[in-house]
This record gives sequence, C-alpha cells and structure tokens, in this order.
Amino acid sequence: MSAHLFFLLVALLFSIGLVGVISRRNLFVVYMSVELMLSAITLLFATLSQTLNSANASVMSLLTIAIIAAEAALFLAMIIHLYRINRTLDSEQCTSLKQEAL
Amino acid sequence: MLELSLFFILALFTLGGSITMVVSFQPLFSAFGFLIAMLGLAGLFALLNNQFLALAQIMVSVGAVVILSMLTIMTVNAQVQNLPKEPHKFIWLILSSFLVAPITVLIYTQLNTLPATLKGAETITAKVIGNALFTDWVFPFEIVSILLLTAMVGAIVIGRKHLLDTKACS
Repeated sequence: MSAHLFFLLVALLFSIGLVGVISRRNLFVVYMSVELMLSAITLLFATLSQTLNSANASVMSLLTIAIIAAEAALFLAMIIHLYRINRTLDSEQCTSLKQEAL
Repeated sequence: MLELSLFFILALFTLGGSITMVVSFQPLFSAFGFLIAMLGLAGLFALLNNQFLALAQIMVSVGAVVILSMLTIMTVNAQVQNLPKEPHKFIWLILSSFLVAPITVLIYTQLNTLPATLKGAETITAKVIGNALFTDWVFPFEIVSILLLTAMVGAIVIGRKHLLDTKACS
C-alpha cells in the first residue's frame, strides 16, 4: 500500500472544505468546512511521518490539532455573537465592512 | 489486502461524512456528517501506525470540537426562517466544484512528488511524541499553549452580553 491513496484523500478532503467555504452561506457549515481543511492538513502530516519515518511530522500534526481546538472556540463564540445581533445564521447579513456602491 | 480494504472503508466514511456536511440544510445534520468524517480520520491515523494521533483526534476533534459545535447549534436553536435561504444551493455547489477541481489536481500532482513508500517501521506512541515534543519542539509547544490561552480569553470576551451595544454587524 503506497501513500498515493492518502495524498488523493488529502486533496479531496481539502477541496470539499474549500467548496463548502465558497458556496455555502450557513455560518456553521462554513466553520465546519474550515475545520475539515485543517483536518486534511493533519492527515497529510501523519502520512508524511510514515513515509519519512520520523516523529517530527506527527508532532506538527498534534500542534495542528491544538490549533483546530483554538479555532473552534473562537469561531463558535463569534457565531453566537453574530446570531445575537442579527437573529440569522446567514453570512450574507454581515455587511458592516462592505464598500458602498460608487 | 486487509489494509487496503480498511483504507477504502475509512475513506468512504470520511468522504461521505464531509459531503453530507457540505450539502445538508440543517446545521445539526452537518455536525453529524462532520462527526463521521472525524471518526473516519481517526481510523486513518490508526491505519498509519499513529496510535497517539488517533487517540488525540478522538479526544480533541470528536470529543471536544464536534460536541461543542453540537451544543452551540442547539443553544442557538435557529428556526428554519432564521437559516439562510439558499434556493440555488446545488447549482452553486456544482459550479464551485468545477472551480475547485483544478486546485485538487494541482495539490495531488504536487503531493505525488513526495516520497510515497509507507515504511511503517515505527509505531508512533505517546513516548515517541513526548520525546520529540519536549526536546526539539519546546518552542512551538509553548507558542501553541499561549495561542490556546489567547483563544480562551478571546472566546470569553466575544461571548459576553454587553458587547451587543457595539454593533459589529449591521
């Protein structure tokens, strides 16, 4: 069994996350898509730790999991805050930084 | 042969869960898809002889992140009229899939230039990771601990109620 299959899976997972970020407007789905992209990177590091036969890539993978946890806490707090203000989960409603039409 | 079939089953779980996550309308169904994807990913870590990462994935991603998102979804308790209306969702999904497909091919071809034989000599246990983490990786470890502390403080500050006076979002 070679690592090409794992590389293919990493590419597919990252792309599915990217598609979710681009095309969905539900804030929860956007958040979970970002998490999925980070998890794909974690899988890539874990694969590299086996192909290169070193534990360093595993440590990087572990640190990425910690970053995923930090991102989850911040993103969920932001979603709750936005929902309290807007009463909607639509990311189209967050327009306070939008440029006015010229 | 056993490894290959295990890989395909786990990959099916992961891909199916993530596609469910992206496609479904209700956020709770998305969270269930995400849960299945994370479980499949933990299985893939175990398949890669990475005991410690598989356990960390189950404890952090499944046990903490997914449960926290489900709790948040149920706390917010958005009704159907508060969810974004996406009448052309599938058109956008297919369109953006075509848009992203070249990026997928690019990532895959670039990753294929890396060495691809799975040696599988050493099982990555907690001892191996601990040795690496507290000798060569002390500085990144400390930075990540500061990052986690900052994220915790930031989440508490953002989640407070009287921030509502400052209109962050119109």
